[in-house]
Amino acid sequence: MILPDVLFVLFASLTLGAGLLVVLSRNTVTAALLVVLSFVGISGLFLLLDATFLAALQILVYAGAVMVLFLFIVMLLDVEKTSHILPKKVSLVLSVSALLVMVIGVTYLLMESPSLPSVDLMPLDMPDAPLGFPAHAKAFGYALFTKYLLPLQTVGFLLLMAMVGVVVLSKSTAKAPEPTSETK
Amino acid sequence: MNASAFSVFAENNQWSVLWPEISLGLIALILLLLDCFLPKDKRSFVPGLAVFLQGGLFLAVSVFFIESRGMDAFYAFNGLIYMSSFGSLLRAFFLLSSLLVSYLALVYFKKQPLPRTEFFHVMLIVTAAMMLLVQSAHFVMFFVALETVTIGFYVLVAYCRTSAFSLEAGLKYLILGALSSALLLFGIVLLYGVAGNPELPAFTQDSMSFLSLQTFIENNAHNALVQLGVLLVISGVAFKIGAVPFQIWIPDVYQGAPTPVTAFLAVASKTAGFMVLLNLIQGPFASMEYLLKPLLSAVAVVTILFGNMAALSQQNLKRLMGLSGVAHAGYLLVGVVAAFHVHWAPLAVLFYLITYLLGSFAVFGVMAHVAGEQDEAQELSDYQDLAQRNTTLASVLTMGLGSLAGIPPLVGFIGKVLLFIAAFRAELYTLLGVSILGVVISIYYYFGWMREAFFRSWHAPQEAPVAAIPLSGVHVFILGLLAMLTLLLGLFQNVLGWALF
Repeated sequence: MILPDVLFVLFASLTLGAGLLVVLSRNTVTAALLVVLSFVGISGLFLLLDATFLAALQILVYAGAVMVLFLFIVMLLDVEKTSHILPKKVSLVLSVSALLVMVIGVTYLLMESPSLPSVDLMPLDMPDAPLGFPAHAKAFGYALFTKYLLPLQTVGFLLLMAMVGVVVLSKSTAKAPEPTSETK
Repeated sequence: MNASAFSVFAENNQWSVLWPEISLGLIALILLLLDCFLPKDKRSFVPGLAVFLQGGLFLAVSVFFIESRGMDAFYAFNGLIYMSSFGSLLRAFFLLSSLLVSYLALVYFKKQPLPRTEFFHVMLIVTAAMMLLVQSAHFVMFFVALETVTIGFYVLVAYCRTSAFSLEAGLKYLILGALSSALLLFGIVLLYGVAGNPELPAFTQDSMSFLSLQTFIENNAHNALVQLGVLLVISGVAFKIGAVPFQIWIPDVYQGAPTPVTAFLAVASKTAGFMVLLNLIQGPFASMEYLLKPLLSAVAVVTILFGNMAALSQQNLKRLMGLSGVAHAGYLLVGVVAAFHVHWAPLAVLFYLITYLLGSFAVFGVMAHVAGEQDEAQELSDYQDLAQRNTTLASVLTMGLGSLAGIPPLVGFIGKVLLFIAAFRAELYTLLGVSILGVVISIYYYFGWMREAFFRSWHAPQEAPVAAIPLSGVHVFILGLLAMLTLLLGLFQNVLGWALF
């Protein structure tokens, strides 16, 4: 069982490391590409959990479509190198130390109390539970169009509304000057 | 895979019980279609149609609530939705607030050259999502509805795209809203993960459903991951209601957003947040009382004091409404804490929210009329001599502010008294003391505003008289109705009491 552990550490550090670099990188294009890398790490984690469908979706939708769109926008906007506003030293030190305290505290809490009894990672055998462990696209489809049909429809409205919102917010409201009789 | 189980799920989707939400969605679609296909000169009636249809739906929902009062609550959609008569009342509440927001929007759009139909479209979908949100009993439905509300608000807050303040507010709301959604989602995921662990007692396979989670958390209330998850979910909700330390977005967003959206945020979004909080602490998180009661009490104390102190020195009225709204969220949190011990405390919270709706919309209605072309710059000094410029507006403002401050004959007073009785019954004496202190502080800034409208300035007799604000009969009727309701419900609460208790 050593290989899954090694792979887990590999993919987890890929995800987290790339995520950290996204925040720290100064160049927007680099940051967007690092997000793709982080998504690849996440899809590796999904693979380790036997969630093959999710892993494929992660690559196809997020790393593929969404991030390409992001890159397009970043490159179309052609942002000039802006002046960097560095955070104040005090707030930087405070926030990093608060983060460390939280990470150590949560780790300590989880190690101290038996809140997470270890389970061997294997697909649960649950014949009676139709929504138990949807590893395949078919199970997802069934669940989405039966039990979760209402949230699915709501998401449809959400997307429509978001689209309308984007059109309204990005449409130029400045009206073109009306042609007067003199110009004709 | 068990296909017959899926067909049971499919048969359990009783769409008819969601008729108000579906009608709202359809109205939103119809508005969009009309705007697409009607000739340009005939489009001006679309906002009026939106108001008319909403009014009709509001009447229908109210009648439905009165008819179905006391019906047995049941789960619909395989446990995604919990239908109760309390939920029907909330639907009527959200429709009333969207109706009043539409009225404010009609006034607002007279002064701002902005597209109108899209505003109503987004607002109607947000209203429907709020209805779903307060009735959801499953974290999947909960999160989808919450995101619909939040994303709709991103659009609405930034709606006045010609104003830098509105865009700034939209950006700030987007970033902080995304942060709070991330906190909430992380909490949900932790709960989902830990509740599905087969090694723990009472583990569940449907660990997003509130019912299964409630059983699980009862058995594992002291599990560190459960504590962390509950804390994160509560933090996410606290952002929506603007409780300290998640109040940081409120002044800027309230100032920059168009006035109707500010009112919508202040009343409907806050109500949705509180109803969700009550659903959570009375449902899945009920056995976390040992953690949540001290936590929410501390948050309530800080919220009341911070909101009132910060509002004291505000000159911009939209910021003042925002910060005083933080203080109101603090009083409401006292009611939420009392709900751990007093069974009618949630009703007191809703009663308070209804009084808050009446008072706030009276004040925001006046603000929409007094505001100039620059919507974000509504200063206290603009209200000098309001009583001479338009007596109706000044009196409605006084009634609204008096109700918000909790002055006896008005309904805001009754709301506060109910909350305080609940806190007293729950033996929350410290919280009670802090709330009363907060109310005393709040009188300073509410009355300062009234003083500005009535008594402030002195004019030399040879000066030209101040310009009057014209107000047509419809506006006098609507604003007067709000003011009369704050007074009448303050004297006779039987109607509301009958609906609630």
